[in-house]
Amino acid sequence: MAERHWDLLLLYGHTWRKDFFRCLLNLNFSGPHAVAVVFPSGEIHAILSDPWDAEMLPQGIEFTVATDVAQALAKQKGKAAGIAGMELMEARFVAAVPNAVSATFAVEELRRVKTTEEMAAMRKAAELADRGYQYFAEVVEEGMREYELVAEVEAFLKSNGAEDNFMLIASGGTEVTGMKPPTGRQMRAGDSVTTELTPQVDGYWAQICRTLVLGEPNPQQRESFAIFSEAQKAAENFLKPGVNIADVARVQNDVFRKYGYGDYTGPKYTRVRGHGLGLHCDENPYVLEDVNYTVKEGMTLIAHPNTYLPLSGYMVFGDSLAVTANSCERLNRTERKLFQK
Amino acid sequence: MKRGWITWDENELPREAFDARLDIARRHLAERDLPALIVYTDIWRSNRVRHFCNFMPYWNRALLVIPREGAPTLLCGLSPRVYPWIRSVTILEEIRPSPNLAQQVLTMAAEKNWQRLGVLDLDQLPSDLHQQLRAGAVPVEDVSLLLPPDEWELAMYREAARMAREGIADDLSQGVGLRDHEFTGRLERKFRGAGAEDLVILLTNGKTAPMPPRGETLGQDFSIALALEYRGHWVKIARSASSRDPIPTHIHVENLSGAYPYTPSGRLELSSVLAVRYESQTGGVRRFHGDTYWTGSGGLHLL
Repeated sequence: MAERHWDLLLLYGHTWRKDFFRCLLNLNFSGPHAVAVVFPSGEIHAILSDPWDAEMLPQGIEFTVATDVAQALAKQKGKAAGIAGMELMEARFVAAVPNAVSATFAVEELRRVKTTEEMAAMRKAAELADRGYQYFAEVVEEGMREYELVAEVEAFLKSNGAEDNFMLIASGGTEVTGMKPPTGRQMRAGDSVTTELTPQVDGYWAQICRTLVLGEPNPQQRESFAIFSEAQKAAENFLKPGVNIADVARVQNDVFRKYGYGDYTGPKYTRVRGHGLGLHCDENPYVLEDVNYTVKEGMTLIAHPNTYLPLSGYMVFGDSLAVTANSCERLNRTERKLFQK
Repeated sequence: MKRGWITWDENELPREAFDARLDIARRHLAERDLPALIVYTDIWRSNRVRHFCNFMPYWNRALLVIPREGAPTLLCGLSPRVYPWIRSVTILEEIRPSPNLAQQVLTMAAEKNWQRLGVLDLDQLPSDLHQQLRAGAVPVEDVSLLLPPDEWELAMYREAARMAREGIADDLSQGVGLRDHEFTGRLERKFRGAGAEDLVILLTNGKTAPMPPRGETLGQDFSIALALEYRGHWVKIARSASSRDPIPTHIHVENLSGAYPYTPSGRLELSSVLAVRYESQTGGVRRFHGDTYWTGSGGLHLL
């Protein structure tokens, strides 16, 4: 704050993106809004929408419960402020603090390298993701509807301490071009069932991506999985402090290119080759060949070469990774194979 | 999970409901001589766009463009790979891939020769999008529209409230002695298996307000506050496992039919879906009770 001549730092969160608020005050508020106001003295004042949220604050934190957040923020009018999460904020809230600038990138950069306590939460979330996938593989069966499977997995994750879970799913064959929320489709023999599970524990999200075939996988599904496995392994072998995130994407895409599937590494068929993980389930930096970012020790991310291939339809495979001093550590322990049931 | 099963059953919510809602917007555009209305949506703030076309994003954000004449168009940050699915659960036919939403608005305005645009609740847009639209070549104007829930919407809220109320009535007493996480998991299975799209469950043993589960064993005086989304319609209820009649000491009101799924409200707004929660206290134990109401003619109606 001193370097940037800010009188205040505001950390804003709303009900879906709580991460900037939670990086300072790690409480799972109901919202819809929460703002942590940090003064140069280190004093913190919380602005909350729901009076119940105030009861979760650590002792000694001053707070305001405000139906009108803009009005509460207007008390800071005239001060030079940095706002982390400014882009997510309603325009009328930002207008209440007219001398504000975005602190989003600066705070994201601080958040990227995890502390020991944060890494412990990431490990707990990854361990729950493993158990969640094990349960997923146990309960999935022919005839089950996609949303019924999701209900089972959500029940398991919440019963075992997940605050939330971000999950996408797809089932079917070569006609499947991507994952989405569950539908009422009943799963059939021969289907590829793809999922990404992303449980949140103590605020932190870890992710696992796996593909399961109902019945014996066909040769094309096996061939496809071998490519995904090689691509993910390439990322894991390459990832260490000092490398560029663009190259973490490139080494994965090169595997697809080697087998003649380079066309399937672009935005027409896929989104990203991975992304950061932490207090948000889809953090920067995105693992893409056109993103320039130097990897640091202590970062957590997932490498997942998820894409559509004509061999198998959409397929997914990925693990959460922590960047260590010389390489990276896999946080998930789930077997790395094409699951079948 | 945000969000689970997204679907559209035309028997439950007929196409004519959306036609009627779009007509309200179009009439307003005609009164203001505006060629089109822009409506914002994201993973959490999806009520407004859901109202007009049944689109509810599970990820990313989007803008619905409602022209004064013709069908609405979705400008969408999601990949074209999921557009067939979007078309299957909405009234939408035209969907344009839009990594840069503001740029796509300007492109569309140039194509249609639109000289001005209305934006629903302009100053409530996320600030980055607000700034980009304001800086664009086409002037944007704030449009405030009252969008009271219609009969179709009220029927959906009623179904959501029934699902929540009956589900909790069946399971509440079985929560005593369970860990709060375990009870939450039981409700997730039950409600999502019955077609709920999303749930937020808060629990307390009476020493605090209801909070997210934190590993406590639920005692005989525990209370639950449940927010449940059924096909885009959120309701809230709160119940105590105790059989004592609540004598309210605190009352809190939230609006469920605004832009957000729920927003604290300082008053009983008319023609709105409201969640009203009460707190009572006996012997140092706090108990919570609440329901979802419609403030139509004649006062509060339990949904």
